[in-house]
Amino acid sequence: MRKFTIILAALFASAVAQAQADYTKSLSGIQWVKIESKANVIVKTHNSNELLIKSGPSVETPERAKGLKLVGEGGTDNTDVGFSVIQDGSTLIVYNLRKTGDAEIYLPKNQNVSVKSTWNGDIEIDGFAGEIEADAQLNGSVKVTNVNGPVTANTLNGELAVTFGTVKQDSPISLYSTNGAVDVSLPSNTPANLSLSTLNGNVYTDFDIKAAEKNGMRTLLGRNIKSTINGGGVSFSMKSTNGNMYLRKK
Amino acid sequence: MENEHVLDLIPEYLDGSLDKETMKDIQRHLEKCPQCQQETKEMEALLKAFKSDVVPVPSERLRSRFEEALEAEKASMGKVVPLPLEKKNRNWASSVLKIAASIALLVASFQMGSVFQQKKINQELAQLKDENLDMKQTAMLSLMENQSASKRIQGVAYIDEFENPDESIIQALANRLLNDENDNVRLTAFEALSKYTSSETVKNVFIEALEKEKNPSIQVAIIQTLVQIQEKKAAEPMKKLLEKEDTQPFIKEQIKAVLPSLT
Repeated sequence: MRKFTIILAALFASAVAQAQADYTKSLSGIQWVKIESKANVIVKTHNSNELLIKSGPSVETPERAKGLKLVGEGGTDNTDVGFSVIQDGSTLIVYNLRKTGDAEIYLPKNQNVSVKSTWNGDIEIDGFAGEIEADAQLNGSVKVTNVNGPVTANTLNGELAVTFGTVKQDSPISLYSTNGAVDVSLPSNTPANLSLSTLNGNVYTDFDIKAAEKNGMRTLLGRNIKSTINGGGVSFSMKSTNGNMYLRKK
Repeated sequence: MENEHVLDLIPEYLDGSLDKETMKDIQRHLEKCPQCQQETKEMEALLKAFKSDVVPVPSERLRSRFEEALEAEKASMGKVVPLPLEKKNRNWASSVLKIAASIALLVASFQMGSVFQQKKINQELAQLKDENLDMKQTAMLSLMENQSASKRIQGVAYIDEFENPDESIIQALANRLLNDENDNVRLTAFEALSKYTSSETVKNVFIEALEKEKNPSIQVAIIQTLVQIQEKKAAEPMKKLLEKEDTQPFIKEQIKAVLPSLT
């Protein structure tokens, strides 16, 4: 009887361990990983060519849900970590079915990543060299750090902050917010064609921005500032309708 | 020689224009050959006939009549003023002029040649430019279908390369504004289209977009543009936005401020 108990305990422990295991999936043949979540999402890089979803303590399933599957808008939990992962051609669609807690996702450095927060979730993306798309559709913020590639990001009410390493010159960068601040840091030697536009916000920068002169008057107060830095280069567009804009030298 | 026929040489023989040796040879041959004798006789007769033929000459009367007619004609034509003969000391000037004229002609023809060449080059350039525009259009349209939002924005921004974008380009941009899933792409497409508000297509697209668009930044941009061009049809979708619960307060305020100017 005592042996039986031990075996039972061991089985239980292994089952729990199974449930707590991280989820991985190979990314061969995948061009884009599209993540959608209502809760906070943190996306980081790692050195293997696979998707890794951490199952932290914060994603514990309630006792009552034992034996039941988590379902949501994005589908059914087919990962055991609260996500639905579906491959569609060369795109991998990753839905976070949980509406609370932080999801931590790891991808290879050169992966093209698109992250969408459809409710209050904040998006954090760090260290990528591929293309980044981030869209906080409601109250979430977007924070992108240490990236090189083209960034296309948009927030409604949250803040949008991006810190660039060397900026790749081949494809446009576009950072928009409706009500949030847009805060961008660039290496001071970055060549770019800047376009800064705001309706009700103010623009602050330590870059030497020469606003186009109109009849000898500087149009700094204009809604749309177009300027080149370091001789001009990649198209770099920042816009906030109601928020302030900050463009910093790194 | 004695036994060969001399038919070819008969005219010269009769003419006496051959050397003595040949003349003798021919004589000897003729004594023996009746065929050649016959030929010689005929030729002789023919030549005699030529010589005896009288060449008709116009009579003195005809001549005087012609002179008279010529005088009459001259008189009826009016006086012909003979050009004064150039004096010898002006000859150098005329030759310089001649040289100058020929140089001018040379230069002119060279210029003409280069003008035509330039025309041809211009045509080729125009053709190249056309091809270049075609290529740009193709690149633009294909970029706008790219999976990457950044590339689609790049495609939209290509509009600046076209002085007069054709309907297919406007349509492709309209398609981005109305249907692209990415807010940044939609906003960029709106900004690109807002330079062509004189086009009916663009106006209608903006009104359609105002009914569909959820992003407040794009909503407010469309509202401002439609008010700027005083598009009355914009009033209806604006009223609808006012009634909607999820329309942002600043949009509603904006609409309230501008609506009176449209109605």
